[in-house]
Amino acid sequence: MTPRARSEDGRLRPGPVFVLLGFALAASMALSASTGPVAIPPREFLDALLHGGAGTPARVLLSLRLPRAFLGLLVGGALATSGVAFQALLRNPLADPYILGVSGGAAVGALTVALFLSAGASPLLPLCAFFGAALSALAVFLLARRKSGVSPERLILMGVVVGAFLNAVIMLMVTLSPPGRIPGALYWLMGDLGLGTPRRVAVLLPYVAAGVVLLFLLSRGLDLLLLGEQAAFQTGLSVERVKTATYLTASLLAGSVVAVSGLIGFVGLIVPHGARALVGSGHRRLLPAAFLLGGAFLVLSDVIARTASPSGELPVGAVTALAGAPFFLYLLRRNGGKS
Amino acid sequence: MNPLLSARKVSFGYGAGDVLRDVSIDLHPGEVTILLGPNGSGKSTLIRILSGVLPSRAGEVLLCGRPPRGYPRREMARLLSVVGQDPPVDFPMTVESFVALGRFPHQGFFGETTPEDRERVRQALAETDLYGLRDRTLSTISAGERQRATVARAIAQGARVMLLDEPTAFLDIRHRVAFYEIVTRMKEACGIAALVASHDLSLCAEYGERIILLAEGTVASQGTPVEVLTPGNVQAAYGLAVSCDRNPATGAIRVTPLRGMPAKNR
Ligand SMILES: Nc1ncnc2c1ncn2[C@@H]1O[C@H](COP(=O)(O)OP(=O)(O)OP(=O)(O)O)[C@@H](O)[C@H]1O
Ligand SMILES: [Mg+2]
Repeated sequence: MTPRARSEDGRLRPGPVFVLLGFALAASMALSASTGPVAIPPREFLDALLHGGAGTPARVLLSLRLPRAFLGLLVGGALATSGVAFQALLRNPLADPYILGVSGGAAVGALTVALFLSAGASPLLPLCAFFGAALSALAVFLLARRKSGVSPERLILMGVVVGAFLNAVIMLMVTLSPPGRIPGALYWLMGDLGLGTPRRVAVLLPYVAAGVVLLFLLSRGLDLLLLGEQAAFQTGLSVERVKTATYLTASLLAGSVVAVSGLIGFVGLIVPHGARALVGSGHRRLLPAAFLLGGAFLVLSDVIARTASPSGELPVGAVTALAGAPFFLYLLRRNGGKS
Repeated sequence: MNPLLSARKVSFGYGAGDVLRDVSIDLHPGEVTILLGPNGSGKSTLIRILSGVLPSRAGEVLLCGRPPRGYPRREMARLLSVVGQDPPVDFPMTVESFVALGRFPHQGFFGETTPEDRERVRQALAETDLYGLRDRTLSTISAGERQRATVARAIAQGARVMLLDEPTAFLDIRHRVAFYEIVTRMKEACGIAALVASHDLSLCAEYGERIILLAEGTVASQGTPVEVLTPGNVQAAYGLAVSCDRNPATGAIRVTPLRGMPAKNR
């Protein structure tokens, strides 16, 4: 028999796909690092990368641009993998990391800091956004829980209810706030990678690494969840345990990312579809592919956000939404909501 | 011989009322048992209880001497596989990776595939006539082909007890017969015990050693096809007049509905 040109998923062979994805990610990060008001010649670029350096170009590169590119990688990758997990958990290809109220909780947390604790960008903002996200994710989970377990339908329902409630709280906080208190928070709500300092990257890194690794360890369980809970159970999966672990991990991943970069929409929704088209639905390949693709997508979006307007930066969330919404509509129209 | 799976006086209800009342059955190795009964008589519910998805309200279920809900999940899935009526998979998954999921209880948690896994999957695909379709995604094959894929997944799981809930509902006549041939072969070669819920009275009579006829949640009649498939039993359970004779070619019981308005029995 001739060797099969396709993988066991019936897709393209995974090796070249991953090489390509890695290359795309590296290229987008290089592009991001070399884009900006200060021109950095290639020699100094390499020099700064290899040996550090004290000149302005080196400082711009090492303390501004590279952290920002790495933040884009972490945020984009985390949103995409978290989206993959939520889609499997809810057995719904149209789910995204924000579907269960993580975004609203994070926003309330961030606005609380802006309103009551300090104006402007405070180091407390990410922390409180994170706790807000974790609390609302937990609330949705507990509200949806019944004696028989947690059903996808109830999770989505409770996510909508909690999300609507938190939106009302957000409106209230914005309306009642003294003027000039929350412009930073509003910008943050639209999604922004401008907070990319080396420290922020370092703070985020362990959360993202732990979350992505945990999801990867759950990947076979996620495969089985696609069969439906009853079939997964009868095929030997501890369904409730895997669902709880997936839910908590994906929520923490989304929450920690939201805390650092605000609400960046559509990455967690559309990147999983792109990655599935490349490597199939098996999560052991899908999760890493989604991470790489999500990273590359967000870093590129950020380059566009920084260069598109001559009068200043756009929030990167606006760029991902501009690119994502039409793509999402295309997906919906192409197959009536089924991937 | 000891039964592999037995239920003693099992009762169950989703709400206040009873869906199953005092149901007792035994599944022996090397035996195909057919579960008959009209729509809503409790066949799928019984299969859910036997596989541990639902707890019985009263009575006892023992799988190889232990209650199904007392097993670690994987260990149980190595002993018992189920073909249920599951929702469609809304994700692009190929037939082969779908069938390969049946190997989960034999693999490490991360699903490293061994040559044995691959061989079992290949066999299951070949037996269900799906090998040529292995690279197609589930959403691009027909309903009957999807049902065969589900059966293939259960075969790949390699369990000694198989519970199959209307596994031939979408199949053409050739693949229906092929299904019963596969089950018969596995029964003879591996000594499996199979419980097949079905609405196909004549084919069941051809292939089933034992028939259990459920009606309104209780066992109305059980025994060999000759004992169970009588006009009186069928009339009582289904509210339908039938004639039961012998198929001249095979000698098995043949059930033919009589024309005319079925009498209501409820
Ligand atoms: N999830 C559920 N919640 C409440 N009642 C249910 C549920 N599932 C089934 N029932 C009821 O339990 C009874 C038995 O249903 P079951 O699905 O076991 O029947 P069945 O014999 O498999 O029927 P069919 O031949 O149509 O597949 C029916 O009256 C049905 O309405
Ligand atoms: Mg049924």
